[in-house]
Amino acid sequence: MIKEFSILVSIVLLLTGFVFVHYLAHNGISSQKMLSSVANITEISSPSLSVAYYEPRVLFYEEVLNPAYPQMQAMNKMDLVYEQ
Amino acid sequence: MNNNAFLHFLTLLLFKQKGKHIGAVLISVIIIFLLSSVLFISSSLQSTLLGTLESQSDFTVSRVQAGKAINTPSDWLDKVLEINGVSQVSPRVYGRYFFAPREESFLVVGVDLFDEQSSKEFQSLIKGLDLKSFLSTDSMLVGEGVKAFLSEHYYKEHFSFKTPEGSFKKVKIHQTLPLQANLIANDMIIMPIELAREIFGLGEDEITDITFNVPNDAEWDNIIGKLHLLFYDVRVVEKREIRKAYENLYNYKGGLFLILYLVAMVTFMLILYQRYSMVYSTERKEIGILRAVGWSIKDILKLKFYETTVVVLISFVLGVILAYLYVFIWDAPLLSQIFLGGANLPNHVEFVPVLEFGLLGSIFLFYAIPFFAAVLIPAWKIAVTPPKEAML
Repeated sequence: MIKEFSILVSIVLLLTGFVFVHYLAHNGISSQKMLSSVANITEISSPSLSVAYYEPRVLFYEEVLNPAYPQMQAMNKMDLVYEQ
Repeated sequence: MNNNAFLHFLTLLLFKQKGKHIGAVLISVIIIFLLSSVLFISSSLQSTLLGTLESQSDFTVSRVQAGKAINTPSDWLDKVLEINGVSQVSPRVYGRYFFAPREESFLVVGVDLFDEQSSKEFQSLIKGLDLKSFLSTDSMLVGEGVKAFLSEHYYKEHFSFKTPEGSFKKVKIHQTLPLQANLIANDMIIMPIELAREIFGLGEDEITDITFNVPNDAEWDNIIGKLHLLFYDVRVVEKREIRKAYENLYNYKGGLFLILYLVAMVTFMLILYQRYSMVYSTERKEIGILRAVGWSIKDILKLKFYETTVVVLISFVLGVILAYLYVFIWDAPLLSQIFLGGANLPNHVEFVPVLEFGLLGSIFLFYAIPFFAAVLIPAWKIAVTPPKEAML
């Protein structure tokens, strides 16, 4: 095995190790706790989508409108993100 | 052949011909990076939202008129409470408040702070919050996005809401909601329920909708039937439906990105196949010389296989690592806007790291198998020709 190859493999292994350490050490519980608290208080768990005025902000509870063609079903972020 | 000598020859060949591999590695890293980033974002959002959904009530009931949700009478609360098996019935008052000059909107949510459960949660959410001082004046808690937007418009301490009656309601910005809650609370304003009613012009006997729990899952369908018998103009939304939507969140079977990925992948494989199958004189010569010095077809295929394995593994690992850094350390600038939108208040979300090893394995297989085929088939075609012909 030549030296350059060993260096390349070491760098890749080092980066992989860093990712694993970050993954194992990350405290996702506090974020989840905060989100659950907000959802508990407000009873709303919909993601805070940055949507235009005619798109639904709260999933399932708001209607979708297309301001240009009211009869036409509007394409919105939910359609892209959520499978209908 | 001696393994050490083979390994030395393989690595030497890889670095001597780095110009040949660098293009394939770069394109592979870009494709793996994009696909992994999208999947990391969607898995993180899905896992976080499913966790959050646990805190939400099992059912939501609202009144409908001409297919649209309208304000629900508050006396429905007592009627729902009378149904056997129902618990934790509570009213919801919420809606979007439009900041007309810029067409931006906030989600205003009214909370019953005299409810013991809510007030406890409220105090655990905001450490050091003095509920008495919060309730003594018209106050609100705002999300990070709202706070930034209001500060930009010089509403540093107060904001004046315009009510449907045309009057202004001045509300104090008491505190900001934690940054970690941005995923659901970036554009949110939380205030006492009476204040929210006043801002939206709701009457004393009106609420937006009703939420309740049914602890026994087997009763769920029965409860829906009872609700439809009790009210004729009702819409019932179950937690099951919302869960299903979250579970299908950017489903990789039907996603737009998968189609784009497939198109990119097929194009990449075509380029790769064409590149390796083209009658490169150097490539043919190299295989011909190896055959002439006594290498068998198996040895040549072994060399090409290991060469490709190194290229595939390094590209895949680099692509995934870059995607991890981009999503979970730099919070996916630009790409996160595709998921969270950019039409209203800008949202900065910290993605919780979620690695789905099964999914990563599938990506690897989808990527590696065509790659191997694109390299090994042309190499085999050259290797089976007599060395003299191959070197011509």
